[in-house]
Amino acid sequence: MGFLSPWFLAGLAALGIPIFVHLLRRHVVTPRPVSSLMFFERGTQSSTRHRRLRYILLFALRFCLLLLIVLAFANPFLRLKANDTHGGLLLIILDHSFSMRSGTRFLDAKQQALKLLASRPRSQRAQVLALGGQVEALTEATQDEELLRSALQGIQPGDGRGSFGDVGRTIRALAEKESGPIDLHLFSDLQKTAMPANFADVVLPPQARLMLHDAAKTSASPNWTVESVTAPAELTDPKNATTSRVQAVVAGFATPETEKTVSLIINGKVAARHEVKVPEKGRAMVEFAPLDIGYGFNRCEVRIDGDDALSADNASLFVVRRSDPQKVLFIHRSSDERSAVYFEAALNAASHGAFVLQSITTEQVANLDPEKFAFTVISDVTSLPSVFEHALEQYLAKGGSVLMALGLDAGRQARIPLWSGELQKSRNVSFAEEASTVSQVDFTYPGLEQISPGRDNGGWATAKFFYAVRVDPSHARVAARLSDGTPLLLEKQIGEGRLLLFASGFENLTNDLPLHPIFVAFIDRMSRYLSGSEQLSGARIVDSFVQLRTATNPSGRVTSSEIVDPDGHRPLSLLEAQRAQTFRLSRAGFYQIHFANGRNAVIGMNPDRRESDLELMTPEVQALWTGNNTGQPETEKKTAQGAKYQYRGLWWYVMLLALIVALVETSLSSRYLGTQREEL
Amino acid sequence: MQRFLDPTLLASISSLDLIAKTVVDGLVAGLHRSPDFGFSQEFAEYRAYVQGDDLRHIDWNLFARTERCYLRRYEGETNSQLMILLDSSNSMQYGSRKPVKADYARYLAASLFYLAIRNQRDAAGIIVFDDEVREYVPPSTRQGQLARLFAALEQAEPRARTDFSKPLAHFQALLHRRGIVIVISDFYEDPEEIVRAMEVLRFRGNDVVLFHVLDPQEIRPELKEPAILVDLESGQKIEVIPEYVTSTYRTKMQAHLEHLQMRTRSAGLEYYLLPTDQPLDMILREYLSLRRAGR
Repeated sequence: MGFLSPWFLAGLAALGIPIFVHLLRRHVVTPRPVSSLMFFERGTQSSTRHRRLRYILLFALRFCLLLLIVLAFANPFLRLKANDTHGGLLLIILDHSFSMRSGTRFLDAKQQALKLLASRPRSQRAQVLALGGQVEALTEATQDEELLRSALQGIQPGDGRGSFGDVGRTIRALAEKESGPIDLHLFSDLQKTAMPANFADVVLPPQARLMLHDAAKTSASPNWTVESVTAPAELTDPKNATTSRVQAVVAGFATPETEKTVSLIINGKVAARHEVKVPEKGRAMVEFAPLDIGYGFNRCEVRIDGDDALSADNASLFVVRRSDPQKVLFIHRSSDERSAVYFEAALNAASHGAFVLQSITTEQVANLDPEKFAFTVISDVTSLPSVFEHALEQYLAKGGSVLMALGLDAGRQARIPLWSGELQKSRNVSFAEEASTVSQVDFTYPGLEQISPGRDNGGWATAKFFYAVRVDPSHARVAARLSDGTPLLLEKQIGEGRLLLFASGFENLTNDLPLHPIFVAFIDRMSRYLSGSEQLSGARIVDSFVQLRTATNPSGRVTSSEIVDPDGHRPLSLLEAQRAQTFRLSRAGFYQIHFANGRNAVIGMNPDRRESDLELMTPEVQALWTGNNTGQPETEKKTAQGAKYQYRGLWWYVMLLALIVALVETSLSSRYLGTQREEL
Repeated sequence: MQRFLDPTLLASISSLDLIAKTVVDGLVAGLHRSPDFGFSQEFAEYRAYVQGDDLRHIDWNLFARTERCYLRRYEGETNSQLMILLDSSNSMQYGSRKPVKADYARYLAASLFYLAIRNQRDAAGIIVFDDEVREYVPPSTRQGQLARLFAALEQAEPRARTDFSKPLAHFQALLHRRGIVIVISDFYEDPEEIVRAMEVLRFRGNDVVLFHVLDPQEIRPELKEPAILVDLESGQKIEVIPEYVTSTYRTKMQAHLEHLQMRTRSAGLEYYLLPTDQPLDMILREYLSLRRAGR
């Protein structure tokens, strides 16, 4: 037994208080004069003994109370001999992140893990976890060695990015259920980039003892990688020099200055090759233009020739889809010519010919089939022929996209076509008054996405809105709001499709948005989002998710989705193909995806390039993680460090005892005082 | 007026003369009656004539109406003698509140002297005693007697212990003429001893009155915790417990008081218990009325 805060034992001096009050003070009684002792006798009655006994009991209780409080503050602990280390849980975490593909790291780590598993006592429970894009528990805590071994054997090198923050979170969650000690063995290359920015994320629970097994051996191996590729996901005119080009950034980690040959490979054939000088631990850009590709999906990669520490990251995959310009249906009132002009100008400026606007009035739409268009724009039209409105509803249910703008005409109508919600009221601000501006913009919304929006609210703050229709935003996602809280851009899922509502017009009467540069960017992103072309090709980071369908039970017939992974396997079961809403793309390579709305996509998946930096975490950080996983009381640290002993804190029990003693003391002393009152 | 007679207030007055004046002036004036019948102006009763009576005292008017001879009898107005025996033992200096017993006794004695000398022209004297006679002022009506008595009271500082038997011989020698003998003491003595000592005075024809002065705390003491008590006379110390004080002591004290009262009454002595929180004038009035009723 010991004390974690022994300096609190100085509080034992307080024990002098009851001793003084009960023992010493009683003897220092000032004699009281009386006229005569004729009628007095010495107190020798039996009640005196009871009283004295009660005094002694009260004294003992008060003494104990103070003693227990001091002891509780001194934080006593009991050092128990650990039954054996077998009583604890052996946790084996094998890192199979992308960087483990470097050299023999993964094999070495797996061998070490298997060796540890073989050397553990039979009676000790163990659990196997895999660290990749996420931490996966491959087994329950078990003593079954075969199960554990097979789980370890089954782990294969992955393409995900490992994060030790995930390890910390997982172990903390596990420790809530596991009361005993946890021996945590992490077999990893201990990449520096795997450490989270906040060290608190990796702090382990007190009963966990971490052992790091470095599989990297060498500290920093030179490694080059194609860090990023900028290429159009969709291309309509290969000869257009503005869009038909690929820009790649080659980065070196712990590398000397060298010349590298970078190739552009399209559909397995080398289309172009460039020499580039990569500075020491630096970056260099390579550009390939024009991009000569055929119609359909073109599987492209930018590859660095030669070998290095991690050859798997020498190529970056992406898909470029070549198609004819897509038609966009723009419906407007015959009296409204401005909106079509502004919209078309912006669309042409942004898409470089990827879209062709077909502008028609409401009187001409009766026999049109909206499914022939990439998406439909309805500008300030509140009354559509019922046949066409029905066709639009069918179009939406199957996965079509409609963008609706509400101009001056919408305020005079009671309902909006396709939009189930009712109009609340229009907001009309005269020119004399101060116009509204866009105050809130959801930059994570795909149609408004900006990585680092400027201080002017991403360019939106300068646009003035004089008129906006206030729409009930229930059941809709509000992507932007005006300064008075009026929802400006709303999206509602209808079947597999999406209906977007812009609460103002596209002309320059209701607002001056078309006159601002942000309008072009807005139309660009919106058109790509509505057409869905961005989802159908391009490149993504491993462990990204794709949305296969918008609703679990879409209206109409149930359509299935399908995925073919880079190895040509179909990872979705039949049931999942009909019900799964999202899918995690966990492998590097080309995925073929058939969405529930009938569209097909081919996407190139690349590992996170932070995995390419093979620099190890410093020994100081390792020591801090393994040895000083503190922020915890001393007792808990000892629990983690002491393998042979288990330290059990006793303060809680001491405090409980102190509480009981306090209650008894209160009861006894109140009875004593009560007796005194009666006597008086 | 009553509030000025509160013993606590009297304790704040330093002059005994003033205290006595305050008390007595607040009292309804009254004369005690002589035990002898005389022939003065105050009619008392008729008595049938017997041979040898002085014919001057026959009520001739009554004889004319009834043809029988009756003598008129009158209250005899004589000058009485007041003698106060004041206990000045150490036990008298006890007091849980002001005034202490000794002071209270002095106030009482001073008031009686004032009453006797100024109002009734009686001769008054004092014997201050503890276990010896400490001070003696013979009874007199001379000029300055009151001042002498007050001086004797002032000098009566408590000392030694009470003993009634030793000064008794002196009492008998000093009390030549019969009168009123007032004994003021706390009577911490066996009642038998007290009565034995005092009834001798009674046998000599004195009216003996015992004023038993006690502090309220002596009658109903309170003790919150065990305490060591010191006897003021003997210096002896004992530890007592609250239970005893609140139960047995009170019983014993009550028994003592009852016993003392019973024995004094049976011996023809007057007995009054005077707690020191009781106003003096009330005691005097009660005493005087009792005296009048008793005769």
